[in-house]
Amino acid sequence: MARETVRRTARDNPYLHKDFHGALSVAIEYLDEHFGEEAVREYLRRFARAFYAPLTEDLARRGPAALEEHFARIYREEGGGVEMTLDADSLWIRVTACPAVTHLRERGYPVARLFRETTRTVNEAICEGTPYAAELIEYDEATGRSVQRFFRRPS
Amino acid sequence: MIGCTEFIPAYSELFKYLESRGGVEAVEDFWRYLSDRFLGNLRGAVEEHGLRGCWLYWSHTLNEEAADFTMEIDDEAGLFRIDMHRCPSMGRLIALEHVEPYHDYCRHCDVLYRRVLEPLGFECRVDLSRCREARCSLTVRQRATGSPPYITEK
Repeated sequence: MARETVRRTARDNPYLHKDFHGALSVAIEYLDEHFGEEAVREYLRRFARAFYAPLTEDLARRGPAALEEHFARIYREEGGGVEMTLDADSLWIRVTACPAVTHLRERGYPVARLFRETTRTVNEAICEGTPYAAELIEYDEATGRSVQRFFRRPS
Repeated sequence: MIGCTEFIPAYSELFKYLESRGGVEAVEDFWRYLSDRFLGNLRGAVEEHGLRGCWLYWSHTLNEEAADFTMEIDDEAGLFRIDMHRCPSMGRLIALEHVEPYHDYCRHCDVLYRRVLEPLGFECRVDLSRCREARCSLTVRQRATGSPPYITEK
């Protein structure tokens, strides 16, 4: 067999490693098994509050248009099927084919029992401290198909 | 949905959360759990192809992660090596202004890969001395003990 060397730079490839969805699913399973359901939600909330802090600020400042831009970028990068309906006070997201769950199923990775929380809890956490709230109206465990709504809280 | 491009901060924050719940032992326990449940593709590739399985596995993952790296394999010498010039994961964490990376983030690579490769007959060495610059290296050597029994018979 040969001796081989390969050199790559970051510019040579797009950054899109969908197997990370599998690692996240395993992480959710681990938390669920070892610390329970509330730990799954607590972790996801802490993560979302920290990482999406700029998005939360943008949501408070500009309203749901900020969320539309964020999720449009995510789904543009990952593919899948999504329709978004935006008005001044709300954003509806209808996911017909979730790229994360689709990838997990295609590769045979386990889909964590609480994988839906990566949508529900994260969306709610993004809205914390803003005039908006999030609701996961429908979620299909098998496909990740979902209906999500962000809306202005009643005053 | 948490995008796969947002996973690395989620991973780093997970380590922080686990440490807050169960100390470093909880973090390391998760790393072992993840290695056992998630690295079946690395394990399978090395079981089937020997050291060449490392080349096949990381050719896939490092390109998808848009890493800046040099990877080499010398089958006769039984040596596989990755020089990571700019780790895409640590590089992204360092670039985030509003989130601090988990203090021992990079060590997960050492735990995850060693746990797969050493039982298959390889020595695995990870140099993390420059990981705060998003630089590291991984060296895998075939142990000099006769034929490679770890290769799966077809």
